[in-house]
Amino acid sequence: MKIRHTLMLVFLFSLAACQTAPGQPSTMNDSTAPVRRKITIAWIPKGLNNPVFEVGRLGAIQKAAELSAAGPIDVEILYAGSVDSDGAEQARVIDDAVARGVNAIAISCDDPTACIDPINRAVSAGIPVMTWDSDSPQSKRFTYLGLDNIQAGQAAAYLLVQAMGTEGKVAILTGVPGADNLETRITGFREGLAAYPNIHIIATVVTNDDINLGVQAVEDTMQAHPDIKGWYFAGMWPLFADRGSMPLWEDAALHHGMKTIAFDALPVELGLLRDGYLSGLLDQKNWFWGYETVQIVYDHIINKKDFPAFVNLGYNVITKNNVDAMLQAWNTNDFSKPLPPP
Amino acid sequence: MRVAIKIHWFDWINRQEAFVFILLLIAILFLGLTTTTFLTQNNIQDISRNFAWIAIPAFGESLVIIIGGIDLSVGAVMALSGLVTAMALRFGVSIPMAIISGLAAGSLIGWVNGALVGRVRFPPFIVTLGTASIVRGIIFGLAGGWPILGLPSGFRDLGQADILLGQFSLPVSILITLLLAVLVDTLLSVTVLGRYIYTLGDSEQALIVTGVGLPRIKAIVYTLCGTLTAAGGILMTARLGVAAPTAATGYELDIIAAVIIGGTSLFGGVGSILGVLLGAAFMQVVQNGLVLLGIPAYWQSAAIGSMIFFALILDLWRQNRNIL
Repeated sequence: MKIRHTLMLVFLFSLAACQTAPGQPSTMNDSTAPVRRKITIAWIPKGLNNPVFEVGRLGAIQKAAELSAAGPIDVEILYAGSVDSDGAEQARVIDDAVARGVNAIAISCDDPTACIDPINRAVSAGIPVMTWDSDSPQSKRFTYLGLDNIQAGQAAAYLLVQAMGTEGKVAILTGVPGADNLETRITGFREGLAAYPNIHIIATVVTNDDINLGVQAVEDTMQAHPDIKGWYFAGMWPLFADRGSMPLWEDAALHHGMKTIAFDALPVELGLLRDGYLSGLLDQKNWFWGYETVQIVYDHIINKKDFPAFVNLGYNVITKNNVDAMLQAWNTNDFSKPLPPP
Repeated sequence: MRVAIKIHWFDWINRQEAFVFILLLIAILFLGLTTTTFLTQNNIQDISRNFAWIAIPAFGESLVIIIGGIDLSVGAVMALSGLVTAMALRFGVSIPMAIISGLAAGSLIGWVNGALVGRVRFPPFIVTLGTASIVRGIIFGLAGGWPILGLPSGFRDLGQADILLGQFSLPVSILITLLLAVLVDTLLSVTVLGRYIYTLGDSEQALIVTGVGLPRIKAIVYTLCGTLTAAGGILMTARLGVAAPTAATGYELDIIAAVIIGGTSLFGGVGSILGVLLGAAFMQVVQNGLVLLGIPAYWQSAAIGSMIFFALILDLWRQNRNIL
């Protein structure tokens, strides 16, 4: 009987020794020298349905590879997310990451409120959490890396005024009505145009994050207001559609001096900018969403570094002057080099 | 005499095709008078082009609803068929073969739906919701989150080109829509299969008594729905010149709405392709009109939702009147 108890105790102690506290790097193969520790960071986008998150994932993998090569610790990225942008599904993804025992979580919150409880549960389990792209300010995340959307919206207004002048009709295109980042981008844009009383915002149309609806909304608006002088696309939805699918918008851009400023800087947009359909782009530095978050998480859990509640990632302004450099970054998959001035 | 007129009036109202047609005329008249751009050739072409990929899947959905079922996977099937076609084109497959592969993908999903509903007797709501989820997963797996661009112009012409008919130019997509409407309407009104479809929606028991294999009929109807939905998805891909994994998300609601507004009863046994065509046209005209009138975007989905609600109430009212 004593032998059985002793064996059970030995077994339990062995199990405990194999366990690692959440948030702490794990040690493997401790019987053999030299020891390589490993940390796993769950990098969670709003949904797998948006290609800009793929760009961010590449940045995260790049930084993880750099840190693994440079230091004594291997950094592993766990890319997990719901297929669609859905708050409830995302909560499940966070809980799954906690159950899996990752060392940290970096997340773009689909719904700032729905994110609070799952983030707080992860933090209570000893797993540090940071947000990127889309914040959940009331949660216990240790920092938020992102864009000042008000500032970016104002920059878009400035770019549009530079391109079209100080008078005329302007329309706004947005995604899902009510999305926090889009609404603040529009607020910033409106603030930026407030100084120009002869510029009139005549319509705000929605795409529901759908390319087809975006194309329809732009063409319907062009139909209703053929004399429109400027567009502000708070996202890039209709620009994914191939040339020829927005004939009125394309004709106005190429032959009637209409100007468009859009968010993001994916290759399809850069081509449109180079060919004169667009006048400026606001690049959210999607690649750095991954690259910088992994560095911040690493510094926080390994180097015990503290971060302010908001880390401003900033944005790149892309115009004809630096579009080629941005295209080059895409071609080489290296976004780390600074761009020439716009 | 008075009674006769009353009956005639109710019969007329009961034909929802006529009701939607009147509504459509009122909407066109109102928008023609209140905006300067609605009745321009550009705008009419734009509307007719855009309603094709709601109308064609709606033909298939109406067949399913007439037999008393529902297909919630139509949005996902549209995206899958567009993606399969685009991938085939990018692999260098000829345009006709690429289109056939897209149609085959849609037919296959439709057949799976039909087999599970007909043979295994799972509820259509659950089956098609499940296949929608599986199909979306497959799409993201195939595309890796990225849209497929750079499709050949010969393919894009299906969704973008016009055919000149005298002084008017008609989009190719609207001609395809009308052709399919005639084919599906003929199937419903002339063939034995069409009679079985209506009978199945009216009374499953009546069809069982005649010895017709219900699972087979259901499999055929869901497969037809998948094929027609795929045709809509391929046309949409041709129009946009891009196959996005997120394409047609939530379109099942628009498609079902077009079917219901067009007079197909959610209770089964009643419906016509003309009604579906009018329902889809009415929805497109209203959506276009809301933008032309400058109605704030935030209110537009409420307006569309109200339309669906209205059609449902009308359907319920007709059902109750028939029962009484």
